[in-house]
Amino acid sequence: MTPRLRRPSTLLFLVSLLLTACAPARSGSPSATTLPSVSVAPRVPAHSIYPLTLSDDAGRQVTISSAPTRIVSLAPSNTEIACALDACDDLVGVTDFDDYPAEVADVTDVVIGAVVDVEKVVAADPQLILAAGNELTPTTVIDQLTDLGYPVLALYPHDLEGVYNDISLVGGAIDARGAAEELVTSLQARAEAVATAVAGADQPRTFYEVGVFEGSIYTAGKDSFLASLLSLAGGEPIVGDAASTAIQLEDLISADPELILLGDASYDPTITVESIAARSGWADMSAVRDGHIVVVLEDLVITRPGPRIVDGLEALARSIHPERFP
Amino acid sequence: MRATASAPATTRPIFIGPSLTRVTVVLGGGAILLLSAMVVAVAIGSVGVGLGDTVAILGHRLFGLPMGITVAPGAESIIFDVRLPRVLTAMLVGGGLAVAGTVFQALLRNPMADPYIIGTAAGASLGAIAGLMAPILLPALAIGVGSTWLGLGLVQVLAFGGGLATVLLVYAVSRANGRVPVVTLLLTGYAVSSVLAAGVALLMFFSGQHLGAIFGWLMGSLAAAKWINLAFAAPLLVISATLLVFRWRGLNLLLLGDGPAAHLGMDVEREKIVLTMLATLATSTVVAISGTIGFVGLVVPHVLRLAIGPDHRLLLPASVLYGAILLALADLGARLAGGIPVGIVTALIGAPFFIWLLRRSRMVRVVVTA
Repeated sequence: MTPRLRRPSTLLFLVSLLLTACAPARSGSPSATTLPSVSVAPRVPAHSIYPLTLSDDAGRQVTISSAPTRIVSLAPSNTEIACALDACDDLVGVTDFDDYPAEVADVTDVVIGAVVDVEKVVAADPQLILAAGNELTPTTVIDQLTDLGYPVLALYPHDLEGVYNDISLVGGAIDARGAAEELVTSLQARAEAVATAVAGADQPRTFYEVGVFEGSIYTAGKDSFLASLLSLAGGEPIVGDAASTAIQLEDLISADPELILLGDASYDPTITVESIAARSGWADMSAVRDGHIVVVLEDLVITRPGPRIVDGLEALARSIHPERFP
Repeated sequence: MRATASAPATTRPIFIGPSLTRVTVVLGGGAILLLSAMVVAVAIGSVGVGLGDTVAILGHRLFGLPMGITVAPGAESIIFDVRLPRVLTAMLVGGGLAVAGTVFQALLRNPMADPYIIGTAAGASLGAIAGLMAPILLPALAIGVGSTWLGLGLVQVLAFGGGLATVLLVYAVSRANGRVPVVTLLLTGYAVSSVLAAGVALLMFFSGQHLGAIFGWLMGSLAAAKWINLAFAAPLLVISATLLVFRWRGLNLLLLGDGPAAHLGMDVEREKIVLTMLATLATSTVVAISGTIGFVGLVVPHVLRLAIGPDHRLLLPASVLYGAILLALADLGARLAGGIPVGIVTALIGAPFFIWLLRRSRMVRVVVTA
């Protein structure tokens, strides 16, 4: 009981806060040699197409002053688009979730645990930032980066067509229109082949399980990308709420799926055909009765709107109509 | 216990006022700590920029000094456009919340009072979330969403207005026969907040992809801090905090209770409404630019009361200073921990310290009378 010590204890608190704050500070390389100005000084344009103004998926007008050779990607799908256009070497910042192609593992992570580290983006000195729409990259972050003077393209494809558009958009932005056109043409041809293969087949009522958490069942949302992909693959998607993508069990039972695709089995080995059949309330569904439950291990490419989305489409079509893919 | 509360060595009877030495130590020391905290918080971040470079950049951009040394231009942007506005915002928010908390605790004579207690948080949250979801709720409004004034979008404006409007409503409802009894005010605030919180929950339920943004706003964050927001918030906060600091006499009197304060010649109802509105103005401003950051406004006043006594002449300016220091450092911790919400840091580090302080003091000098 020493009132005299009260003030020092306050100071102690503040000092301890200071120490706590200082402790994890990495005195990492200031990367001083690689930090040019933010107000992107217009260089001598390498091509006559710059400065170039593009309209992104959020309807924002984005002006790019010169051919970008330093690109930051804030989503794995954007990384895959850039790399498919042969701009992998130009990536100077990606997310910690990026896993494809393998060489991006060496690129600095500027998004860690879904949080964009704005400082690291600035330090990477990008000439183009590829963000994700629909709040995957928070609007506040897009605004902040735009205010700092960077051209930020927000990509948010709603369907396969949207992915093609985004590939063309990025191709335009980085002066790789030819490569983009070529890529889109080949993807379209493959998607066309899938359409031909499943044409005329019965379309089973298909439930794609994205995940089950605490009793809530998540699937393709109404009018979602995933729902459109299931249709293209020759299924009739059973959809959940457009916003939450959840479906209530009784709605699922009354929709009576003829085919259940287990996308979540890609990540969780305990999700098996047997575990689904054992769930209470699921036994009466046609798919469970007839044993039409399929483990899908390609969820990553099915749900990542990059160039490999057509791999996902092919995987879905094979799962829904194995008879058409001998 | 009472004897301890007015221990002669450090605590004088409150109407005599703090000694000059005491003022110098608390406020002068606080000012030095504040400046140090600012430099430290600006110098440290996820990208390393040397202390020398930081000081040179600050000197150059703030005071027009010649740089002297060559620093990487990206470093200049990181220090001046990313970190400095964020640190200054943290300081304004921390100072504003702490002084508003001090005022509400004394005004309501309630140890659990914080700046949000009579409805600011609930009203501001509902406003902000309605703003976030405007494109879904009313597609016609979506056109206005992108436009901003002083960097304030629909979200900030609705948060600011929602906080102010809720407190005005609560105050008006609590008023009877020209008086606003403290208990009625607290309970009305609670009831109105509950209704608004139900609205918040309802909107969140239907929010879809906006849920993450809403959650982040409710947790409070300084990540979106920018200079232009300070142009809105700084004048409002400086004015309201300054006016509050100079109303120490009224707060000291109110600690005696409404009756005794009135007997001593104070227009109690007028003083209460002025204090409530100033503190609410400060809180709503803060909430508009940072969301609802918890803990600071509740605990900083208590810590300071334990440390320097309950005289508002010293307590009010000290809460501004130390609230600012605390939040700047807590936000630094939040940034270094990978951008987690700052409220997590204040509670994780601050609450155990507060418990320790409470235990060693063996008494809660909440809103102690002399």
